[in-house]
Amino acid sequence: MKLARVVGTVISTINVPVYDDRTLLLCDLVAPDGSPGDGYLIAVDTVGAGAGETVLLIDEGNSARQILGATDAPVRTLIVGIVDVVEVAPGEGQAEPRAGAAPTRPTRSRARARPGPKPARKAASTAEEPARRTRRRRTA
Amino acid sequence: MQLAQVVGTVVASVKSPGLEGVALLIVQPLDRGLAPVGGTVVAADAVQMAGPGELVYIVAAREASLAMPEPFVPVDHAIVGIVDAVTTAEGSP
Repeated sequence: MKLARVVGTVISTINVPVYDDRTLLLCDLVAPDGSPGDGYLIAVDTVGAGAGETVLLIDEGNSARQILGATDAPVRTLIVGIVDVVEVAPGEGQAEPRAGAAPTRPTRSRARARPGPKPARKAASTAEEPARRTRRRRTA
Repeated sequence: MQLAQVVGTVVASVKSPGLEGVALLIVQPLDRGLAPVGGTVVAADAVQMAGPGELVYIVAAREASLAMPEPFVPVDHAIVGIVDAVTTAEGSP
């Protein structure tokens, strides 16, 4: 499956019968971090997606035909889900950097790493203080 | 599926069985701003209505042959629709 962002619609009246009464959406492929991917696809909407939404695409004919219940339809690309959140684990994806995404990732991970230790120290110190208090109370 | 523009026709009198009567058109694949991308390909016209200059959408690979009257024919790009309009947030390209 592929991640894509819906950017528009394609309107067509003369087409192969399987496309009758189906919505065709123009989808830009995107990388997991939301940066532009490689190209675009026209996809048949099966979930009610709209412009601006991040969606899941399948670009494989056999799956597409099964989902549509049309065994001999010339369909290959379908929108099969609307994405709420994409989480990428820190450090993941650096092994295969994409053009365009590569410069932003290291700076983001550094920005996250810098403020990280400071709250951790504060949390440790505040955690120690209540512990001491309770010990004193118990001994008193 | 991809957008493409019909740029020409191909006439072939000797064709593989099952392709008799199928129109073959030269199409130029387009990006979503309708700028040419890559080289031209020969596509079978499954709507039987497309002509030079028209904006169409094509399906590639195995699915292309399913658009033909005879399902098992050697076709790897087929025109499956004629585009009336493409609308995006930035307006029609």
